[in-house]
Amino acid sequence: MLLHFDSQKNSLDGQFEMPHWITDSGLSTDELESLVSELEQAYASKAIIKAKTLALLADKAQIAIDADDIFQDKLMGSGIMKSQRKRWENEAKERYLATETAEMRRAWKEFGAYKGEADYGHTSPNTRLLLSVGLTGLLERVEIASQKEGLSQKQKDFYESCRIVLNAVITVAGRLAEAIRPYNVENSKALLSIASGKPQNSYEAMQLLILYFFMHEYIGGTRVRTLGRLDVLLYPFYKNDTENGVYTKAEIKEMLKFFLYKFWVAKVPFDLPFCLGGIDADGNEVTNEISYLIVETYNELNIYSPKIHIRVSEKTPADFVKLVLSCIRGGNSSFVFVNDRIAIKSLMNVSIEERDARDYVPIGCYEPAVWGVEIGCTGNGGVNLPKAVELVFNNGRDLKSGALCGVETGKIDSFEAFVSAVKKQIAYMTRRAMDYVCKIERHYDEINPDPLLSCQYEHSVAQGVDVYEGGAKYNNSSLYFYSIASLTDAICAVKKLIFEQKRYTFDEFGDILRANWQGHERERAIALRLSEKYGNNNPTADAIAVEFSDFCAALINNKPNGRDGVFKAALFSVDHYLPISKRTMATPDGRLAGEPLSKNLCAVTAMDKHGVTALINSVTKMDHAKFPTGSVLDIVLHPSAVSGEDGLEAFYGILMTYMRKGGFAMHGNVFLAEDLKKAQAEPEKYQNLQVRVCGWNAYFVNLSKVEQDAFIRQAENSL
Amino acid sequence: MKARIFEIKRFAVHDGDGIRTTVFFKGCPLKCVWCHNPEGIGAHPQLAYYDNKCIGCGECVRVCPTNAQNIANGVHFFDRTGCLACGKCTESCLGDALKLYGKEMTVAELLPLLLEDQDFYENSGGGVTLSGGECLMQADFCAELLKQLKEYGIHTAVDTCGFVTKEALDRVIPFTDIFLYDIKARDEDVHIKCTGQSNKRILENLRYLDALGKSIEIRIPYVPQWNDDQIEKIAHLLSDLKHITKIRVLSYHNYAGSKYASLDMENTLPSLLPSDEETEKARQILKDMTNFSVST
Ligand code: SF4
Ligand code: SF4
Repeated sequence: MLLHFDSQKNSLDGQFEMPHWITDSGLSTDELESLVSELEQAYASKAIIKAKTLALLADKAQIAIDADDIFQDKLMGSGIMKSQRKRWENEAKERYLATETAEMRRAWKEFGAYKGEADYGHTSPNTRLLLSVGLTGLLERVEIASQKEGLSQKQKDFYESCRIVLNAVITVAGRLAEAIRPYNVENSKALLSIASGKPQNSYEAMQLLILYFFMHEYIGGTRVRTLGRLDVLLYPFYKNDTENGVYTKAEIKEMLKFFLYKFWVAKVPFDLPFCLGGIDADGNEVTNEISYLIVETYNELNIYSPKIHIRVSEKTPADFVKLVLSCIRGGNSSFVFVNDRIAIKSLMNVSIEERDARDYVPIGCYEPAVWGVEIGCTGNGGVNLPKAVELVFNNGRDLKSGALCGVETGKIDSFEAFVSAVKKQIAYMTRRAMDYVCKIERHYDEINPDPLLSCQYEHSVAQGVDVYEGGAKYNNSSLYFYSIASLTDAICAVKKLIFEQKRYTFDEFGDILRANWQGHERERAIALRLSEKYGNNNPTADAIAVEFSDFCAALINNKPNGRDGVFKAALFSVDHYLPISKRTMATPDGRLAGEPLSKNLCAVTAMDKHGVTALINSVTKMDHAKFPTGSVLDIVLHPSAVSGEDGLEAFYGILMTYMRKGGFAMHGNVFLAEDLKKAQAEPEKYQNLQVRVCGWNAYFVNLSKVEQDAFIRQAENSL
Repeated sequence: MKARIFEIKRFAVHDGDGIRTTVFFKGCPLKCVWCHNPEGIGAHPQLAYYDNKCIGCGECVRVCPTNAQNIANGVHFFDRTGCLACGKCTESCLGDALKLYGKEMTVAELLPLLLEDQDFYENSGGGVTLSGGECLMQADFCAELLKQLKEYGIHTAVDTCGFVTKEALDRVIPFTDIFLYDIKARDEDVHIKCTGQSNKRILENLRYLDALGKSIEIRIPYVPQWNDDQIEKIAHLLSDLKHITKIRVLSYHNYAGSKYASLDMENTLPSLLPSDEETEKARQILKDMTNFSVST
């Protein structure tokens, strides 16, 4: 019999902080580490070393058992492979890219201008294949592919590494099965079953997802991977189980509680996403009974991680969307809505075939990538757009250090010249970041071969090429463009104050900015209350936002990366906007040096003075389909606006209007500024108040004062 | 033809179904003691001055054509007697301390502003609401505006106190999808005490609209010590009507205090607030005595 969640809940909480390691089951971390370094000496191929490291841990590391849980996943040695990769990365950088890496560090850490970096996270493993053929099925596929004639040594190593890692996961399943047997026979059977064949029912499917995920994320050491389309994955099992009397709906709901709670107590990095809803490759809506069941269960658990992406198409049932909206209204802000129509179109804009594009999953915060087919790498860095304005006023130099950071664009005598100078700076920063990404990606074979991921990618297995070396069907990279609203407001202010009202010359205005508005308080007040601001459905401001978003997208979309793929643009900022804000001097819109720049697609805080409808009208003038790595608008609504049945309709109306007008993704927060202020003053009483920070969720009381203040101002502006 | 508008509120979710834009017309024939839109009472434009927001920048003094705005020793003061309500100072005020209530607008100026949010109306079952003050004091303008909105297929609501001529109602009836109709008291003496006017005409007009088969949403402000004894009587009155879509009981609040001050108007707001139980009880009475749906 399966355990009952409510009676177990409390004993599940500490399992990742203090696992019950079975000390005589294997070696400790120290012992393992020394064996790993021996291994590293013994082989030349990094792929083989990596696979053998995993096999070593699978064979010899201690395991832990969660007798109070119904899913097992714990193997010691988390961090060993991560630091192995880190070491390899540093070696490669030193050997091939020492000066470039130093430049990149300075450009980001000192100037807050741009960043290019390697990204080994953000992937969408083919969990559908995993569940349909099982570990042994994956192994067979590797065996068959490796029979081909005329393989190179590298390909042979690739297949060997896949074989090793799959067997390693099977080994771990077997060891855990053995250890849990005295406590939970059913769990033990499930583990044995997935060690020897494909999963047979909902329970085994969930156990396999958990085992593979934790092996990959914690032992394999690459972060941020989605489970995929969870309702699509689980539905066939659910249907079979309920129809054939294997498990009842109530039992499956009970399992889902344990399943979701596992990720919650693990505190998975960035709240690991999975998604529900949307259309499939044939264009049919996938939302099914289990989509509802997952949302209901999640809401009842009262947790905020893992976060859940909801794909919304014109065919997604309205009552499903409203169910999610009512959870958000009730204070659970862990949901993001992604617009199928625009996400699919955006992927097709970077040459992804339509059937593939329809099967995307958001792989990090909002970024769509084709499920099990594309390596999206959506965290390769980005460009601080408002910094370009600082660079123009200072002839390409970072104000604080005086160092050259952009290009020398000289004296500016017209608005047209100003716009073109800003574009030059943006183009330069983007080029630098892209170049670096391309260069480092060419060394991925020495840094991050990933057989555990590759063996799920059919294209990769067919070719015998690792997914990080271009083995996937699509091998893409991404850069973010940060703070489009701050850029827009800055350009509007320059246009109005210098070139239309002629209040000051370009140099005089530069002096005011260099003085951080000190002694120019009146000028600053004038700049702050200009009506040409992003987010107000103001034609002048919106035209600038459109011009620059188009310009940014064209700079990188479809440009080759270093792994036989292309770059994809994103227009969001996650939490990166905070550090870069600190390194950006005063901007022409009245912002003081260091004050927060705008986040995601939001207006500069409290500058959207005409309410949420004007904000949406503004934001959707940009072509979101030009950003295949996504964008998102965060809206804050007042509880009174969404209360009752009418309020739910209004909330739905806001969301659907955003989608139908071409918005890419949206997340909603519903709260009162008053409550936030009270929470700031008396955090102990508001431990449960959640807010959606960036791509992930947080408890309000855990945020820094700066972030809290930003939320309060946004909420004050919400009516 | 122009109307005097004092506010355009977007994303209005309490003025009829769905997401709406509400247009507030200036001027009202009643003077309810609890009025929370005092800026809507007078027919003429008024300048509001929020002294807590003034930063003493002196911009208003620079642009004002009369001597209404003054600054002495960095302290600003506003002398309403000299103010022409021209609005010049509101554009230059750096503290957002000045606001002009009452702007002359034509239908052609207003319409594009109302069309901006048309997608929101369509996706939420919303539309445009005309409110006030009392919008039907400018009925010809309302009729023209509503007619043009209907040409765009927009759902229309008219929020009225009912103290208007039958002719005014007749002007807008063909273009109005729903009336949001305020009932403040059943007894005439209570009505006079609360609003300064008899409710005779209001009740006649209500029956008139109902007889014509127009959809009507009834809105009852619930104000302790003023009209709290009227609920059963109102319920009795409504129970005879046929086209009520919904009854809303609006719980009285006194947030409007600063607006009275900013306009130098005498603050008549009652101090006693209703408890949630009281308003809930009023709703229950209405629910029990009529067959209509009752909400907040
Ligand atoms: S509204 Fe006109 S007259 Fe009145 S204070 Fe302002 S500028 Fe002066
Ligand atoms: S312009 Fe506004 S802020 Fe400045 S003195 Fe006049 S009222 Fe005060």
